[in-house]
Amino acid sequence: MAPSNPLANWERLGDSFYRKVPIYDAIFDDNVELENYIVAGAPYGGALALHRDETKPHRFRDARTAKSSIDIYSCSGKLINRLNWEHGTIRGLGWSDKEELLVITEDGTVRRYFGLYGDFTSFSLGNGAEEYGVRACRFWTAGFVALLANNQLIAVSSYDEPRPKLLAPCPEGEVSSWSLIPPAFTLSRSVEVLLAVDKTVYLVDPTEAEDKVLQNGPFKHASVSPTGRFVALITAEGKVWVVSSDFQSKYSEYDPESRVTPRTVDWCGDDAVVIAWEDEVHLIGPNGVAARYYYDGTVHVIPEFDGVRLITHDTCEFLHKVTEVTEAIFRLGSTSPASVLLDSIDLLEKKSPKADENIQRIRSSLPDAVDTCVKAAGHEFDAYWQKRLLKAASFGKSVLDLYNSDDFVEMTEKLRVLKAVRDYQIGLPISYDQYMRLTPEKLIERLVNRHEYLLAIRVSEFLQIPADKIFVHWASQKVKVSTVDDEAVCKLIVQRLDGKPGISFELIAQAAFDEGRTYLATQLLNHEPRAGKQVPLLLNMEEDEIALDKAIESGDNDLVLYVLLRLKTKHPLASFYRMINTRPMASALVETTAREEDTKLLKDLYYQDDRPIDGSNVLLSEALNETDMPRTTEKLHLASRLLADSKDATVVLQQKLLSEASQLLKVQETLDKEIADRSEFVGLSLNETVYRLIRSGYGKRAQKMQSEFKMPEKTYWWLRLRALVAKRDWGELEEIGKNKKSPIGWEPFYNEILGAGNTKLASLFVPKCTNQPVEDKVEMWVKCGMIVKAGEEALRAKDFNTLELLRTRASGPAVTEIDRMINQLRPRK
Amino acid sequence: MAPYPGSDADYLKDKARRDLLTLLEGVRGKKNLVVSQDLAGPVGLFVKFSLLQEYGVDRVFLLENANVDSSQRNVVFLVHAEKTRQVRTVADQIKRLQRNENVEHEFSIFWTPRRTLVSNAILEDVGIMGDVSIAELPLYFMPLEQDVLSLELDESFSDLYLHKDPGCVYLAAKALMGIQQRHGYFPRIIGKGDNARRLADLLLRMRKELDAEESSGLTDLSARGLLPSADTESLIIIDREVDFGTALLTQLTYEGLIDETVGIKHNQADVDTSIVGPTPVPQAQESSKAPQQTSKQGQKRKIQLDASDQLFSQLRDANFAIVGDILNRVARRLESDYESRHTAKTTTELREFVNKLPTYQLEHQSLRVHTNLAEEIMRNTRSDIFRKILEVQQNNAAGADATYQHDSVEELIARDVPLKTILRLLCLESCMSGGLRPRDLENFKRQIVHAYGHQHLLTFSALEKMELLQPRSTATAMLLPTTGTQPGSKTNYGYLRKNLRLVVEEVSEKDPSDIAYVYSGFAPLSIRLVQCVLQKPYILSLIRGGSAAPSAPSPASTASPGWLGFEDVVKSARGATFSIVQKGDDKAIRARQTLSGNNATKTVYVFFLGGITFTEIAALRFIAAQEAPRRKIVICTTGLINGDRMMEAAIEKGNFTQPE
Repeated sequence: MAPSNPLANWERLGDSFYRKVPIYDAIFDDNVELENYIVAGAPYGGALALHRDETKPHRFRDARTAKSSIDIYSCSGKLINRLNWEHGTIRGLGWSDKEELLVITEDGTVRRYFGLYGDFTSFSLGNGAEEYGVRACRFWTAGFVALLANNQLIAVSSYDEPRPKLLAPCPEGEVSSWSLIPPAFTLSRSVEVLLAVDKTVYLVDPTEAEDKVLQNGPFKHASVSPTGRFVALITAEGKVWVVSSDFQSKYSEYDPESRVTPRTVDWCGDDAVVIAWEDEVHLIGPNGVAARYYYDGTVHVIPEFDGVRLITHDTCEFLHKVTEVTEAIFRLGSTSPASVLLDSIDLLEKKSPKADENIQRIRSSLPDAVDTCVKAAGHEFDAYWQKRLLKAASFGKSVLDLYNSDDFVEMTEKLRVLKAVRDYQIGLPISYDQYMRLTPEKLIERLVNRHEYLLAIRVSEFLQIPADKIFVHWASQKVKVSTVDDEAVCKLIVQRLDGKPGISFELIAQAAFDEGRTYLATQLLNHEPRAGKQVPLLLNMEEDEIALDKAIESGDNDLVLYVLLRLKTKHPLASFYRMINTRPMASALVETTAREEDTKLLKDLYYQDDRPIDGSNVLLSEALNETDMPRTTEKLHLASRLLADSKDATVVLQQKLLSEASQLLKVQETLDKEIADRSEFVGLSLNETVYRLIRSGYGKRAQKMQSEFKMPEKTYWWLRLRALVAKRDWGELEEIGKNKKSPIGWEPFYNEILGAGNTKLASLFVPKCTNQPVEDKVEMWVKCGMIVKAGEEALRAKDFNTLELLRTRASGPAVTEIDRMINQLRPRK
Repeated sequence: MAPYPGSDADYLKDKARRDLLTLLEGVRGKKNLVVSQDLAGPVGLFVKFSLLQEYGVDRVFLLENANVDSSQRNVVFLVHAEKTRQVRTVADQIKRLQRNENVEHEFSIFWTPRRTLVSNAILEDVGIMGDVSIAELPLYFMPLEQDVLSLELDESFSDLYLHKDPGCVYLAAKALMGIQQRHGYFPRIIGKGDNARRLADLLLRMRKELDAEESSGLTDLSARGLLPSADTESLIIIDREVDFGTALLTQLTYEGLIDETVGIKHNQADVDTSIVGPTPVPQAQESSKAPQQTSKQGQKRKIQLDASDQLFSQLRDANFAIVGDILNRVARRLESDYESRHTAKTTTELREFVNKLPTYQLEHQSLRVHTNLAEEIMRNTRSDIFRKILEVQQNNAAGADATYQHDSVEELIARDVPLKTILRLLCLESCMSGGLRPRDLENFKRQIVHAYGHQHLLTFSALEKMELLQPRSTATAMLLPTTGTQPGSKTNYGYLRKNLRLVVEEVSEKDPSDIAYVYSGFAPLSIRLVQCVLQKPYILSLIRGGSAAPSAPSPASTASPGWLGFEDVVKSARGATFSIVQKGDDKAIRARQTLSGNNATKTVYVFFLGGITFTEIAALRFIAAQEAPRRKIVICTTGLINGDRMMEAAIEKGNFTQPE
């Protein structure tokens, strides 16, 4: 095949060139009358969706074609699938960048078809869409905006969890045209909409509708450039304006000299606008220069971010700006090093010595030239020129001593992939830039969606990308279409996928289950290595106990809780208990959640399990939460009755203490009534009650309580001591000090009273502390400020050193006293 | 040779901050942020409020206060999705705000550390699933220090041992997987305790699942099929259950004592301003506001306690007995530094001094704070009651007959010492000697119920469930010190005390030679277990010779991996014992080893499941310093714990008081 001229179809537009590359021809059957169809194309060279434009009359052929449908074609015209349509008037037909087809009907129902083969999910727009009706929709890669008949705008910005959101209310009036700016390019990070109403344009975001105050409306078209920086408008007079998206500056104006308003206005990259009538296309560059193309039939324009696809009945073409690298090489009369390098190949093949001469001439910029050739190869669609350029690069780098060939090698790989998918049988006319943006993984996804498994696997192996998803998709499809019995299918799938890492059998099983092949689903699920993944499906399959076991096995408490939640609502309590009884983790989780939310369940559980203490504890904590005294005591009574029959020592004690609690509450109630006049004692502990009684001077009652509740003597003495000190009842304390013995010794008396600051009274207790060693006693005296007494103590122990020390600390008459004692100890002098 | 530069702590901090800010950025315009109490502190660890403000956060509300208002259209919730109660609270508050019809709110929820199925179910039940945008913030480990990573799960202790809810084990496994994904998998996992075993099993299972998954992208080749790590040596998992006893003792390092007296949360302590003085105000405002700065009683001041405070780094792990000395020394040095201004003669010398002035002032401030804090702690430690408590503890730890201590405990009860202190003593006895005599236990039960209220019947039942306070079951248990009962069901301190030399009498607090310094003579069992893995020759010499001389780190110590040599001893501690080698592709291992060289520093991760105390951290740092050039120890935990917090998990908070 003769090489095409690389300059063919180049068109100069101002400073730059545009070229229109023919990709496929002979696309559609003759019976497809393209002029009567609405055509929507998926981004990145994706599939085309055709739906007959119901506003136009069409020839009646036979009943089959008369039926309304959405036809999905590849770009090369291969019919992938036909979706019968009987769901009402379509108001929006568009694609997401995952190649999901979105169909919005007049009543606001959104159908999202994924996988090109008719699987879909649907949701409703709400927000009055049903009432007013959807008028039109505009799409961006991840969402869309619907315009209602009452000028309300509804935005959906995620298809996985669709949340239709109303944008700010817009002004009344006829909307002559509209367009949106994707969230990625707006300041607000939310989608914004340009709405041409009357003579002006409004910018609508979720919070407000801002009037841009223009005078040249009504604008018949508005279109935002791929980067959201520019807006193309068709004015009332039919002129094309290019303005900045904030409407502050106008960049160019172009008069198409046509009275008919163009059918579509789109952007070709970020620098040029494509306006199209039925059979005429104008490409408008900066400063209003333009190129014109004429066609025989209807032409449909499908915008991409780096150009436009032009679809006619016979051809599919890609119109885009010639990249700098390509321009540098192929432009007529180009003398760039890369261009020279390419020429050298010809010379080399002719074995001309000039080849070397050329190389020497561009030696200094040879690395750049090689890079340029490699890059330019990527942007070529023709294999001949790809090879040619790569050859030039290869020649160039062979001359260089050091050159990193990674880019070169990668480019060859990419080109092979691109060539494979651009083949007309696959029909993905993706450009190099688009491929880079789409990523290889997504490209493989698209192949899988077209059921091109073999190619997908080859590509993923070639690029070393995990192929698990391809296998899973294949297997799911197998499950759906195969008619052989379950065993055989399962065997086939397991055999085929054996040893492949990362296969999610859960997804395949889900597909089997969705097809109603439950047995097959169970069989497949057994091969799933991830326990957690099996759970949701098992629940759907009503394999509840297995689901619970698998959840526990996964160790994920959330999963276990989730299963339990489902099981609790589904099963009668008795069988629910049976299920959790044998599984400690499950019952622990049930107990914990029930404690917060459902104590009745807890009581039942403990009753069934025969755990009286736990059961009575639940009642006890309920008693604590009661605000009403009779009910508190009632709950306590219940709690203690639960334990009544047991002979176990701990249970007996527990029961005794519970009844004691009610008894204490009763006593406290009386106290409140008789001496406090308000709720003072109820709720205190026994010790606190006794302490308070003593402090308030009700010693008798305190004593009564002590005997009533069998409080140990030691505890009582401590409480009395602390209460009296707090009351500063020194007289009473002195009275107690007259006792012979104290069960807690006398040191605590000394310490507590001293701590309260009464040194005089404290000192009374020093002689009673008979067990203390002399040094401590001396110190005790000193702390009371009684040096002399301390001295006497030391004297008794004949401790000379201590006396000496004491003298340094003494003052006034005490000094002479101490001196006297010292002298006593020195009888010799 | 880490595959990525930077320590785990820095990496995690940076990642957490980036993740949160990206999420915040995704919510357009100004917003009110609602944070749950248990996240407010941790979030403060990696992001400052001023930075949040830059990202449009107008005001921050606490979830528990339920006071978020309609002042902003956007309301963002940042809440743990693991806790059903909190999820419900979020749902309630959204419903409440929705009822206010003047403002149409935009709600976003950031679930951390992951979005759970249960939270989805709850939101669906309430019917607001469609009205909120939901994202997840994968917060697992939060770096407290360069060598301490914590999950900061406040309730992990009660979840694990009281409610038997293994949720935090799962989160721990997730967090450790994060580390494995960064460094390659741990060549060896060593552990002690049943929950530790569960964690290790989960790690193995997750690795298998990850290997099976292999659906990672092209770019991230290293994540595909994890390789064994070349720069980590092992992961040691210790279940708190193995050694409750240590955590019940009063911590005696400086940081430990601060924790015991005022409490440390997320590296911060709330201290009364009457102790440490008011918060210093920036210079500019000081003059104008000076008159109002009288320190009022009852006001709290937050004090940051981390490595950014140089003085604190010196003090934190020292035994409190020598803190005074260090403070004195620093004070004196600082003074002489100040004095140097008089000797400055030339202008350059003067300028130098002026340049250093801010550092001096900072140091001075921190010195003042710590002196005051230390004095406050001293006041406490000198008290009669503290001394009594300590005496009971030390006797229990040393294995003296616990019944002799009962009188002291009874006295403390009668003196109305806080309940948790009493319970700590009883639990300590129960742990150390395999339970209390049933008669004694009954007696104490009665006394405590009398002294603190009958609601504490519930407290006792909780403690029993946690196996912290139990009756001694059989007669054989009385003979505990000599023979083990059925091994593994209970930690036999009597046996271990002897065979691992838990009690080291002659340890010097100033210049410690053994980890026992952290409890003034008692070496935490949990850390001894770690030493059994890392410092075998030292432990052997301890047992044999009895001299506490630090042995020179011999290269042979790495030769016997796992529990080798100590299997029998370790059996006497509670729970499963295991040492798992994670095998990988041999060729890959060898390739890695050649690449990294063999003499590089290897990291040992020590994971404390159920919580770690500050003293144990100090002890681990002590070991780390000994092992310094060859090994690095990174301490991981579910959260920080001390005896009080353990008790609080069990103590019933309700009482019989009737509201008026």
